[in-house]
Amino acid sequence: MNLLGKLPPQETLQFVHKVIDGICGRAYPRYQDYNTIWNLSEWMEVLEQTTAYFKSAVGSNVSDEEAVQQLNELSSDCQKALDTCLKGRKQDIRRVLIEKTNAMCSAQLLDFDWQLKLALSSDKLSMLQMPLLNLDLDMRENDDIKLCSIEMNKEELQNLINALEAANKVCAHFKSKLKWPKDFS
Amino acid sequence: MEEVDKILIHSLRLSGTDIPEEVQSIREFTTELIIESVVRCLRVISPSVGAGLSHILPPGMSARFRIGMSLAQACQDLGYQGEVGYQTFLYSSEPEIRRLLLFLVEKLPRDASEDADQPVGKSATLHKAIAAAVKEQLAIPWVPPSCRTPRLQLLQGSCLLKRFQAQPLVLHRESDPFLGKVPQERKEFFVKFLPPVSAQLPQPTSLVPSLFELNMAELSAAQDWENEWKSQGLGSRMTPEEYRQWKHQRLQRRLLDQLRQGASRSGPAHSGTTSRDLIQLLGTFGMGREHAGALAKGSRFTHSQHLAYKQEEEPPMQVQVLPISRSSEQELREHQAAELEALETELGHLVGQITEIEGQMSTLGLTLTQVEGEVRQHQLGVIERQQTLRVKGQTVELLPDAENNMAKLQVVVESSAQRVIQLAAQWEKHRVPLIQEFRDLKALHDSKELESSRRLSEIRELHERIRSAADEAKRKDDVYKQLLVEMESLPKDVSRSAYTQRILEIVSNIRKQKEEITKILSDTKELQKEINGLTGKLDRTFAVTDELIFKDAKRDEAVRKAYKYLAALHENCSQLIQTIEDTGTILREIRDLEEQIESETSKKTLSNYERILGDYQAVKQENAILLSRSQET
Repeated sequence: MNLLGKLPPQETLQFVHKVIDGICGRAYPRYQDYNTIWNLSEWMEVLEQTTAYFKSAVGSNVSDEEAVQQLNELSSDCQKALDTCLKGRKQDIRRVLIEKTNAMCSAQLLDFDWQLKLALSSDKLSMLQMPLLNLDLDMRENDDIKLCSIEMNKEELQNLINALEAANKVCAHFKSKLKWPKDFS
Repeated sequence: MEEVDKILIHSLRLSGTDIPEEVQSIREFTTELIIESVVRCLRVISPSVGAGLSHILPPGMSARFRIGMSLAQACQDLGYQGEVGYQTFLYSSEPEIRRLLLFLVEKLPRDASEDADQPVGKSATLHKAIAAAVKEQLAIPWVPPSCRTPRLQLLQGSCLLKRFQAQPLVLHRESDPFLGKVPQERKEFFVKFLPPVSAQLPQPTSLVPSLFELNMAELSAAQDWENEWKSQGLGSRMTPEEYRQWKHQRLQRRLLDQLRQGASRSGPAHSGTTSRDLIQLLGTFGMGREHAGALAKGSRFTHSQHLAYKQEEEPPMQVQVLPISRSSEQELREHQAAELEALETELGHLVGQITEIEGQMSTLGLTLTQVEGEVRQHQLGVIERQQTLRVKGQTVELLPDAENNMAKLQVVVESSAQRVIQLAAQWEKHRVPLIQEFRDLKALHDSKELESSRRLSEIRELHERIRSAADEAKRKDDVYKQLLVEMESLPKDVSRSAYTQRILEIVSNIRKQKEEITKILSDTKELQKEINGLTGKLDRTFAVTDELIFKDAKRDEAVRKAYKYLAALHENCSQLIQTIEDTGTILREIRDLEEQIESETSKKTLSNYERILGDYQAVKQENAILLSRSQET
């Protein structure tokens, strides 16, 4: 962690923000920009440790003082920079961690998209005005992303909607159990 | 009549008849034109009837006759009251044709464009719109990519094939609806380091989906919260922050209970490591609860975050070990591997031992707690017995001098009884105002409670009203928009104002004419009156003169002559008047007859007769040809 001290103080904030960006799913800082300061193994170490520090500080939900205490081997400038970043980006890191823990199942829905299409004719009928729904599901299954595309006509779509509504009902039921007890007030 | 003809011709043109520009009135309609316009009208009015009729006049006379018959039949089927037959079409007269065409035009359904705007249903309009769009796109030729305009690029480029993928975005905002005010550090981050939204994403194409997604997520969260707040939160009589905190704590407690139950069910000896982790976790979980208040939202994931934290903790240590192992030499590796294996077996052994010992420890701990409980119970028993012992010892000490002690005791008892009474009186004195105060406060509280529940119900009602009003406003807005669209799509009827003006003009003309007629009528009446008066005067004068002269006539010859002349004069005059009247009636009759002649000539009877004759010849000829042909065959 004290390798961070090698960084010029005015660049520390930028570097740390970049690292946090990386945690949040954007680009990590590039080694080319910092190869005058650290060698490759140091670079790996710095990156790993900074990441781990933020993840642990946000994940275990420690108070600000405790978070600073973990850094007591660093210079005060460095500590201050890390502290500001932590305070400023807590929400973002937290959200990423929550999403990661939410994705505990083997398959997980990342995104969905739908298009409504109108089939004007087919190979047998010249006039077929049949609406079709194309549903794309982006699934993550064991770290690789799979696209699942379904085409449905009206009845199939209704079936799907019914199934989803039933599921929603169950969810709402559980949710309402967590709300106010009946004997309150 | 010109006006009517113009309107008629306009309507006929709308129904699809090809009327040449130079035709201005019904009089100029040829037979072909009449047939075509009638057939077109019939086709629009009832397609099933119109489909069987040809709008082109056939050359054969008999075929023409047949067409005329079927057209007349169709018109009668539609409910035409007037006289109609093949002759109406083939040998037309202007007024008849005009009447028939007026009837047909009135029967026409309203304008085709108007028809489309009428309630044909949303799906039909949608289909129409889709068809129009597809037709338009099909009409555009394919253009190579380098020559496309932006619009063409949108239609023919590959941009529509891109997938709709959303990614999280960070937006610059002053305050968060769920977390309250944004801290200073975050603001600084926003200002100094946060790239603009368009630069936050690896692919620029996912910008729009991401923005949609962000907006949707916030919207649904806000809605969800509002629903819950209205249904549950208001009833709790807390501020929103308090309510969130309360819910958060409740949730955490439930989770904790659930986890505890799960942990105890699986048992410590059964699977040592996992349950130990879980118990540790429960410890941290409980600890985290104290300062979890700062994070009102998302706390339900806290447990899983701890899990994540546990997973993330390992990597740094491995990284520290890595360089060392890399630096070791080739020959040392095998040695190290052997050592590693030995150490691992030892480790496994040790771990086994540890788990065993842990199992023992936990059982021992259980017995320890049991024993501790027993000890505590025994201690309690001992204290109790000591007390009874002390009381009994004192009684034994007092036993020798019983009488005296009894008296003393009596005194003590009495004095304490007195004191109790005194205290009771005092207590009563204090109690009464306190009770009064308590009652007052309670009444106040009750009234406040009542008031607050009333207010609560008012608030709920208000919320309901707000929602319904908002719904109503939205609905009305929609209707307004729809009406606006409809109004725009309505044909800009310029001729409407012209028509109304024309109608008003006609009405005023009619009024003028009516005035004139009444004037003439009154003139006539006056004249009649004058005539009557004059006749009366004449009669009376004649009677008086007649009498006077008749009296004198008996005596005087000359007077008799005069009397004769008078009689002759009277007769002649009345004859004259008679003649004048006769002339008047004859003139009227002449005028009537002239009118009749005019109307008869307008029917083109002569030419029609000629045409009928010609047509008759043609039919005869056709028949002859057919006969000869049949004979040939």
